[in-house]
Amino acid sequence: MSDPAVLPALLPPLPLVFQGRGIVMGTGAGPALVALEPISFFGDVDIRTGRVTGDIPSVRNACIRGCVLFLPLTRGSAGAWRILHQLQKHGNAPAALVIRERPDPSVVQGAILGRIPIVCGGPLEAFDLRLNGVWTEVDASSGRVALGRA
Amino acid sequence: MQLTRDEQEMLDGSQGEAKQIAMKGLVQLGDAFDAKEMVPIGYAHIYAGLPMYVHDLELIEDLVALGAKVAVPSTINIANADIENWRATKAPENLVRLQASTQAAHSKMGSCCTYTCTPYWAGHWPSWNMHMTSLESTVTIFANSVVGARCNRDGFFAVYAAIAGRYPKFGYHLDETRRGTHLVAVDVDLHCTSDYSCLGFYVGLMVGNGVPVFTGFRRRPTLDELDALGAALATSGGVAMFIVPEVTPPFATAEQAFGGVLPGEAVVVGPAEVNSIYERFSTGSTADFDLVHLGCPHASFQEMKEYGEMLEGRRVKDGVELWVTTSRAVRQMAADAGIVRALEKAGAKVISDTCPIMCHFARTASPDPALGIVPPPIRSVMVDSAKQAKYVRDMIQCDTLLTGTREAVQAALTGSFHPRRL
Repeated sequence: MSDPAVLPALLPPLPLVFQGRGIVMGTGAGPALVALEPISFFGDVDIRTGRVTGDIPSVRNACIRGCVLFLPLTRGSAGAWRILHQLQKHGNAPAALVIRERPDPSVVQGAILGRIPIVCGGPLEAFDLRLNGVWTEVDASSGRVALGRA
Repeated sequence: MQLTRDEQEMLDGSQGEAKQIAMKGLVQLGDAFDAKEMVPIGYAHIYAGLPMYVHDLELIEDLVALGAKVAVPSTINIANADIENWRATKAPENLVRLQASTQAAHSKMGSCCTYTCTPYWAGHWPSWNMHMTSLESTVTIFANSVVGARCNRDGFFAVYAAIAGRYPKFGYHLDETRRGTHLVAVDVDLHCTSDYSCLGFYVGLMVGNGVPVFTGFRRRPTLDELDALGAALATSGGVAMFIVPEVTPPFATAEQAFGGVLPGEAVVVGPAEVNSIYERFSTGSTADFDLVHLGCPHASFQEMKEYGEMLEGRRVKDGVELWVTTSRAVRQMAADAGIVRALEKAGAKVISDTCPIMCHFARTASPDPALGIVPPPIRSVMVDSAKQAKYVRDMIQCDTLLTGTREAVQAALTGSFHPRRL
C-alpha cells in the first residue's frame, strides 16, 4: 500500500488522541485493529468466530472480537446490520468501530442494535497498520479516540 | 432533531413501549446522519425474522409482545424456508416450524406475510415521491429508480419506521442525493434479464455508492430488465438508485439528471464488460452441477410465464434439479394460470418464500446448534442472476455457472452447460 521506507518518520508518537464524530453512542476499549480496505460486514466477517474471511488483505483472518476496528469505509450488502447484531449475540463483536467516512444506514442500525459504538472521522495517521495492537479507548458521546495509554 | 408533538409523544413513551423503542432508534439513526426532521412514510418492507440466525426471531417477537403494530402498509422480506412446500427443498422440519412462527408474529403486528424480495410483483407498490423504508436492497433500488419513491438501504430499523410511521429525513429522502454521480454509456445490445444483471453488476463495481445514469440503451428496458439491473447494481456496489432518462422518473435527459452539466468521463460498457461478469461467475464444471436456479430476485408473473413457455412439454433431464423461486402471491397467480402445473410436469420445482442462498444451503448463517441444521454438500449451482451468483459464492461457498435464462433452461433439459456471451 505505502512505501515502507517513508512510513517510519510519519508514525505519530503515542498516545495519539483525536476528536471524531460520535455516531453510535457508547464507550469501548481494546487493542487497535487497522483495516486499509473497505469492509462489507455481510460476507467479509464470520459471525461464529469473529474472523475476517473476506478478501481484505490488511486484516484477512484477523479476529475483530474485542478490538477497536479502524476502517476507511464500509461497503456492500445492506445485510450488514444483521452481522453486527449477530457478532454481539455470539460474543464476537468489536469493542468499537472507528470509520473514516460515515457508513451505510444499515451499518449504523446494526451497531445500535449490537451496542457497538462508532466514531467517524479522524486523521489519516490513525489509520496505520503499525498501530495494530495499540490499546485504544473510544468514547462516542464526546467523539474522543485515544490510542496508547496516557 | 426537530420532532412534532406526535413524534415527541412516541419518544416519551406516552404512545406505548413499542413506539417508544421504535422512535428512540429512529432518532439515534437520524442524529447519526444529521437529519433535521422526520418524514411520514407511506410503505415499509420489513424483515421476516430468520431462524438461521440465533436470537433473530426475538427481535420481532419482543416487539410484538409489547403490542407493536405497523402504522403503514407493510410487507415482509424473504425467509429461510418455503413454509408450505418445504419438503421439495428437503428443509429441516425444525427450521420450517420456526419460520412458520413468524407468520403469527407478523399477523399480530399487521404486516402482510409476503416473504419475498420482490413485493411489487405481489402487488405492493409505493408511489412517486412517497417516503418509505426497506431492508431489502433490491426493493430500495427498484422503489427509488423505477417508481421514484424515496428510500434508503435500511436494515432492521425498517421495522421501527413501520411501527412509528416515520423515518429521519436523510440520504435518498433528500432531493440533493437523488441526482446522477456517474455517467454510463451502454454500447451493446442487451437481450434478456441476465444481460441486464451482468451490466448492473459491472457498473456497481465501477460506481460504488454512486447514482449511475444510463445512456445508450437501444430500446426501452422492460420492467423485469429494470428489476434485474437494479438488483445487481445493489449487490456489487452500494447503489441505492439508478437513472435511465425518459424511462425512470423524473429526468427526461441525462443533463437534467446531473443538474445541467454532464460529467467529462463516462463508464463505457460494451460486450467485453458484460461478458466479464458471465465469466467471473462461471467457475464450475460445465457438466456437473447440483442445481439450476431461476428467479433471483423472486420471479414476476411475466417471468413465470416465460419459464412456462420454455419448459412446456419438455422434461428436465434425470438427475438435474431445477428450481424456480417466486413469491407465494405470484406462485398463486401462476398456479391459477396453469403455469405451475406445466413447470412441475416438466420436472421443475416451484419454490416460494425462500431461494438457494436464503435457505438451509447457506454455510455462513449460524442457526441454534440445537436445530441440527447441516447444509447439504453442493458443488456447483447454475444461475441466471449475478446477484444470486455472488451470494452463492459467498454463502453456499461453492462454484457457480452464470448464464442466460434460456441457456439455463437448456442446461436443465440437456444436462450440459450452455454459456452465454455477447
